[in-house]
Order: sequence, then structure tokens, then C-alpha cells
Amino acid sequence: MMLTPAGRLDAKPALLTLGSVALAVALVSVSSGAYPLSVADILRVIAGKEAADPVASMVFLEVRMPRFLLGFLVGAVLAVCGAVLQGLFRNPLADPGLIGVSAGASLAAIAVIVLGNTWLGGWLALTGDWALPIAAFIGGSLTVLLAWRIANRSGQTAVATLLLAGIAINAVAGAGTGLLTFYASDEELRSLTFWTMGSLGHAGWDDLVLGAPFMVLALVLAPWLARPLDAFLLGESVVGHLGYRTDTVKKVAIVVVGLGVGAAVAVSGLIGFVGLVVPHLVRQALGASHRIVLPFSALLGGTLLVAADSLARVVVAPAELPIGLMMALIGGPFFLALLLRTRVM
Amino acid sequence: MRSQLAGILLAVAMVWPGVCAAADIRLVTADGAITEIVYRLGLESLLVGVDTTSGFPEAIAALPKVGYLRALPFEGVLALQPDMLITSEQAAPQKNLERLSKAGVQVEILPSAWSSEASLHRVQTVGGLLGKEAEARALVADLQARIDTLHRSAEARGYRPKVLFVLAAGNHSVMLAGKNTAAEALLDEVNADIAFADLEGYKPASREAILASQPDAIVIAESVPGQFNIDNWPELQLLDAWKSGHRLQADSMLLLGFGPRLVDAMAAVNEVLPGRQGVANR
Repeated sequence: MMLTPAGRLDAKPALLTLGSVALAVALVSVSSGAYPLSVADILRVIAGKEAADPVASMVFLEVRMPRFLLGFLVGAVLAVCGAVLQGLFRNPLADPGLIGVSAGASLAAIAVIVLGNTWLGGWLALTGDWALPIAAFIGGSLTVLLAWRIANRSGQTAVATLLLAGIAINAVAGAGTGLLTFYASDEELRSLTFWTMGSLGHAGWDDLVLGAPFMVLALVLAPWLARPLDAFLLGESVVGHLGYRTDTVKKVAIVVVGLGVGAAVAVSGLIGFVGLVVPHLVRQALGASHRIVLPFSALLGGTLLVAADSLARVVVAPAELPIGLMMALIGGPFFLALLLRTRVM
Repeated sequence: MRSQLAGILLAVAMVWPGVCAAADIRLVTADGAITEIVYRLGLESLLVGVDTTSGFPEAIAALPKVGYLRALPFEGVLALQPDMLITSEQAAPQKNLERLSKAGVQVEILPSAWSSEASLHRVQTVGGLLGKEAEARALVADLQARIDTLHRSAEARGYRPKVLFVLAAGNHSVMLAGKNTAAEALLDEVNADIAFADLEGYKPASREAILASQPDAIVIAESVPGQFNIDNWPELQLLDAWKSGHRLQADSMLLLGFGPRLVDAMAAVNEVLPGRQGVANR
């Protein structure tokens, strides 16, 4: 079902449409929230007028802007990582959450929080402010590698094995997280709560500084994978015949997913389903070529996450829903529909 | 006596708004115990929002809730346009508190109060922040007198009973309190010890450990009244302390909040402690 020979929509008008939607969502996102901020206020802040209310300017510049950028980046990266994994495993169900990459990254991050003062003190001294994102990156990469090793037998990806391995990896990582939670002090528990549900509620420029380099690197590396991943669709043996080095392609893919998911988890906690739903939507509308799927996934993923986050912060105002919860609410039913369709076909 | 005093304070505050005027500000509190203090000082009209741990008294239920105090939203709090946010050390994330303060909200973070002394000090601090020093002093004096009486009565018992303290935050999440908890601090106020002194913090309950503990009394703190169902915990019913009625089931915010109701919590716990050693254990 991934080998749709021709796209159903033309790429150019689709790009134009999606681009305008993304722009509209961006505008809605920066102008919606519990604090009333009109478009006029925002324009005044952007124009740098002194007349602007200082609180309005702070809400816009220090809260909504970094939150919007971080949300877009995280959504884009998760969607691209989902597309890369689905291409690599030749399976539309491969998703950073399902095969355990997110859980691996978050386990590593939680280990840094809970054990940072004791066993992992050396790690903290070595990496400083970067301890969390680097640990999450290593955790994510190791999990991709593990899933890959388990699911691959002599060049064939056993899909059932992959998904079952994902369940096992998720269970083990979940148990590790649970164990750390058990030993965590009250203080540490506080910082753990947001990992499990995912949140952009604290997002600031410092999170961007920390996470953006990793995520941007993943997004920059990803296009290089587009043609080899197209070759993967024809079977792993074909990749070599078409002149790509299979091993290198796999390694780059693993690094991209490790970097992207690791950094996304490090700054926003666990946000599921973006990586599953978005590439799938893109493939259905525009065909399976990764030269189309990767950039469109980035755009659609970012837009979707920003839209969900805007919703999450107004539906129960003045409180906020965790964004991970919001995405699961949207993604869960979609996943079920996906399963039913696959069964019919 | 206590309610009379509160009534007088309330009446005075209503009759002479000019004289007693606490600054006419918009106030958000994020911590159930602090909300209770504001209410006891008769200042609930200042409140424009509270967090989800603020559930007492019921009169505040209609106020906008800004979420859990450990996950305070920046915009959500700011949208209520408060002049002041009073919260405790438990508040998080730190970044949002800093942003609120930067946006012109006076953010007051009070230390956790895990003793009667600190609890009363917090009443005085809140009174000071809201321009009600005299009222706060009167309330503190009243509470202090009652606490002293309870301290004397607890001392007179002549030994420190061992109390099994259970925290029920849902039927399937039943935790035992260990050392370095508010539960231990509360028991200390009534001259009693926690049964699981080896345990650090709150840990999931082991049924066998409950059976082996043989406490002098049992205290069950529920986060929602009536939440703990004893039928799911037959082990507790096998304990002598349970059979002999040395047990208490009460709201966790009352027992562990260390707010103005601390004295009521102390009285309730003190009441179920056996007067002589070994009464509960045959």
C-alpha cells in the first residue's frame, strides 16, 4: 500500500495550500491563549512601538514565539522521523512511539534527572546544560538500533517481529522509568510528571537553544535519505544495486531518528502519533516518493502540533491540557481507522 | 469559640471596609493550605483564581482553577490579571513563576510548613502580605492556644504510639507513609511515630508489611472523601488497632495541608491514639 505509483495531488498546488494553512495556523497560534492579545497588539509589538503594553510584548516575545517555534520544530521533526522509520522498515506502522524510540529517549532523560546527583554525576559534569538532550539522543539511537537488529534477519525486516519488539522495548523502558519514579524524591518527581504526558507549557528560548541544534541537524540530514529510502521501497537488496551503500543509509537514518526524537523528547516530553499519522496522510494525498513525503511531513507535522497546542491551551483555560494528551486524542482514533482500513485491504 | 472569633472578624471586615481594607487587589493562590488561610482571614473576596489543590471550603469551588500547582500555566494565571500570586515551594515550573513576576505579578513563594510553628508563621506571613496583620495575629493566638492544649494532652500520654499512616489517592493507589513526609510531621505534633520509619517518602502499600506492622493506631488520608474502600483492604481489618476502633479516615488536605485546620487534624488524630501502651495490641 505504500507503493502508490502516482500521487493523487500535484505537489506544487499542495505545497501552496499547505503553506497558507501553516501560515494561518501560525497566526492563530501566536494570537490565541488564555491571555487576551489581539492581532493589533501583536503588530504593535512586532513594529517595536513603544506604545505596546509591556506585558503584551512579554507574552508575545518570550512565551508565544518560542512556544510556537518549538512546537513547530518538534512536530516537524517527529513527523520526518516517522517517515524515515516507515521508509526504513518498509512499514506504515513504524512510529517512534510504537517501536519504543520515544520511550528509550525518555528513559535516558529521566535517568539523568533522578540519578544526576548520584550515579550519573560524572555525566552531568561532562555535558553540563546539554546532559538531557544528549542523553535522550543516545537513548533514542540505541533503541532504534536495537529494534533494527531484532527485526532484521538476513536483509528482511520481519514486521510482526518489529512491532512485538516495540512492545517489549516499550515495556522494559516503561519499567525502567517506573523504577526510577519509585526511587525519585518528591522534588525529582515534580520534574518527571511532564515527561509522561508531554508539554510545551514551559517552552522558552533556552529550550530552543538546547533542542533546536539537534532537531535542525536531523532535518538537514533527512533530505539526503529521500532517494535511498525510495530505493528501500523496492526491497533492501535493490538499494545496493542502485548504487547506495545500504549500511551507510541505515546508519544515517538511525542518527537522524536518534537526534530528532531524542531532542524532541528532551524539550517537550512524550508526544505520540505525530510520527505515525502525518507521513501517512502525506503519502495518501501525494504519493510515496520520499522526496515529497519528507518535506511535506515536516510542514504538516509542525502545523498539526502547533494547532493542537493552540487548542490545548484554550480549551480548559485558565489551565492547560498536556499536548501529549491532545495528540493521543487525535491520533488514537486515526490509528484505529488505519488498522481497520489495512484489514479491509 | 473559634467560629465566633472568625465571625466577629468577618463582621468587622464587612462593617468597616475602609478601616480594615486589605489592599484591594486581585489575588490568585496556588496551594490548598494558603487558600484556606486567605479564607480564614475573611479575604476570599480578593480571590480571582485558585489551583486544583484548593478544595476547601466549598465556597471557593466556583472560582476559576488554574490547574495543579506543580504545573502552573503562565498565560492561564496571567489572564486572571492578578496583582499577587501566593503559592508554596511546591509550585512549578520555576520558569513560569519567574515570567509571572516579570509580567508584573507579585509572586510570593512561601516555604512548606511541616510543623505547627511553621504553619502558624505562614498564617502571619499571609496576613502581612494582605494587610491583615492584626487579624492574622488574633487567628494565630487562637490557634496557638488550642495547639498548646493538644500538645499538653499528647505529652500526658507518656509514650509515643506507633501509627500506620495510609495515603489513598484512588482505590488502586494506596501508599504507606514513611519518614520525611507531612504524615510523619503531623504525627510528631501529637507525640506519635510513623509505623514505617524505615520507609522514605510515600511507597506503594505491601499487604504483608501492613499485617506485620501491628500499629497502635491507623490513619487513612483520602484525597477524595469516601474514596478509600476498606473492603479492598481486609488486612487492615485484621489489625488489632482497627478492631479496637483506634482508627481515623479523613480528608488528606485536612490531615496533610498544615493550614489553619492543622489543629483540627491534630485533635482528630490525637483522639484515636490509645491512652495506654499496648491497648491495641492485646
